[in-house]
Amino acid sequence: MNNRRHFLVKSASALTMTFIVPSLLSSNAQAKKPLDQKVTDKKSWGMHIDVDKCADGCTACVDACNEENGLTGFGRPETDSQWIRKIKIKDKTTEKITTMPMLCQHCENPPCCDVCPTGASFKRVDGIVMVNQHTCIGCRYCMMACPFKARSFVHETLTTQNTNAPRGKGCVESCNLCVNKIDHGSDTTACEDACIKSGHNAITFGDLKDSNSKVRLAIDSNSPRRLRDDLNLKQKVFYSNI
Amino acid sequence: MLRLLIISSLIFVCMAYLQPSHAHDGNPHISPGKSKADSQEACVEPTDIMRKEHYLFLLHQRDETVINGIRTKNHSLANCIDCHVSYDEKGKAIPINAEGQFCQDCHVKTATNITCFSCHAAEPRYPNHEKTISKDELKEISKIAKRIKDE
Ligand code: HEC
Ligand code: HEC
Ligand code: HEC
Repeated sequence: MNNRRHFLVKSASALTMTFIVPSLLSSNAQAKKPLDQKVTDKKSWGMHIDVDKCADGCTACVDACNEENGLTGFGRPETDSQWIRKIKIKDKTTEKITTMPMLCQHCENPPCCDVCPTGASFKRVDGIVMVNQHTCIGCRYCMMACPFKARSFVHETLTTQNTNAPRGKGCVESCNLCVNKIDHGSDTTACEDACIKSGHNAITFGDLKDSNSKVRLAIDSNSPRRLRDDLNLKQKVFYSNI
Repeated sequence: MLRLLIISSLIFVCMAYLQPSHAHDGNPHISPGKSKADSQEACVEPTDIMRKEHYLFLLHQRDETVINGIRTKNHSLANCIDCHVSYDEKGKAIPINAEGQFCQDCHVKTATNITCFSCHAAEPRYPNHEKTISKDELKEISKIAKRIKDE
């Protein structure tokens, strides 16, 4: 009897160990959103891009995005989907050439959402601007409205989608800051991850509302700007040294 | 303490017994021997409800996930596929919307058309299947493949 009680007590404490320990761990990991709860505005995702660190010819971020979201081309650069692309700009006075990644800027005041006739273009409460493909009718007004040419339209029938990134013909799509990864507790995007791995560290992603987040540290220690600030779109992607 | 444990384990056993008891009403619900679902007793909701209302769960989950970021597994489309998809003898998944497969077969019989799979992958974690699937799931799939081969 005594033995048995001993065993029960032991197994009971083993049980509590397995239940308590993970909950302790997860509370340390800076309040991840539980999978069954709605996103809140407690976080606001954003990005900082240090253009000086972005290397000419490097496409690590683009490749990683294509891989993560299963974006395969049809050899038609005019219409193939691009969620992030590299662009090259030249300063007319200094002739300085700069390369940098261009992606959805996740505006606070997104013109794509203003013009969308179905509400499919929307801004999630945590600031991610995306397309609800279930209600997108493919009219492409949003593509016209976007000053950054950040959106793509799927022209072809697709067959090799990734489970985590459904996409199909007749819908507009664009960068969603790896929303699926973020909802599962990640605090990095495929492009940031790849940029760090490539050794360039040009892209920094994170929570703009957390003053200790890596993205806030990057923004606070540089003096970045928003592209076309005159439009007052209040983007959440910031560029430094441009 | 001991009595409490016994009572609670009794309750647990009863629940475990009761839960699938409404599941099998004599009909085979899924093609045997080919999917993970085949080795399980129950769907994510009682079978008679799933039969009639699976799309309501899916359509609700669809909005909850896309708009509100809710990522629970129970009514997730990706999760239906993970469990219901069949495998061939090499352990390769057969698209769930292919002729004769789970989602397609019944829809043909009931004259229903769905477009979900023009966007959603019809195989689990396609195409990086091996890379992203967990070891346990891979083991489970190879078990299914072996069983089909042995038959
Ligand atoms: C035009 C493309 C498209 C079509 C067609 C489509 N979906 Fe989706 N679906 C998406 C995208 C994009 C997401 C968002 C994926 C994410 O954020 O993880 C999604 C997410 C979902 C989700 C949540 C994720 C999951 O796997 O549980 C469900 C449920 C869902 N869709 C159900 C459906 C159903 C049911 C249909 C058919 C009636 C359908 N969808 C048709 C593009 C599509
Ligand atoms: C963990 C495995 C599992 C998951 C996940 C799952 N199912 Fe099932 N499902 C089953 C099993 C097992 C049965 C058969 C139960 C029975 O025999 O009574 C079943 C039965 C069904 C049936 C009834 C089939 C018939 O012929 O009567 C439908 C419809 C169904 N599932 C749809 C879905 C949908 C839609 C989803 C996703 C929301 C889903 N299932 C998720 C295991 C699963
Ligand atoms: C037992 C047969 C059966 C199985 C198995 C089945 N379905 Fe259905 N499904 C139906 C029927 C019948 C309808 C139409 C219901 C109605 O209109 O009242 C339907 C409707 C739907 C709809 C809504 C279509 C629309 O346009 O309103 C979706 C989405 C759907 N099914 C998805 C699935 C998926 C995904 C699977 C596989 C995981 C699946 N179904 C498996 C019988 C089935």
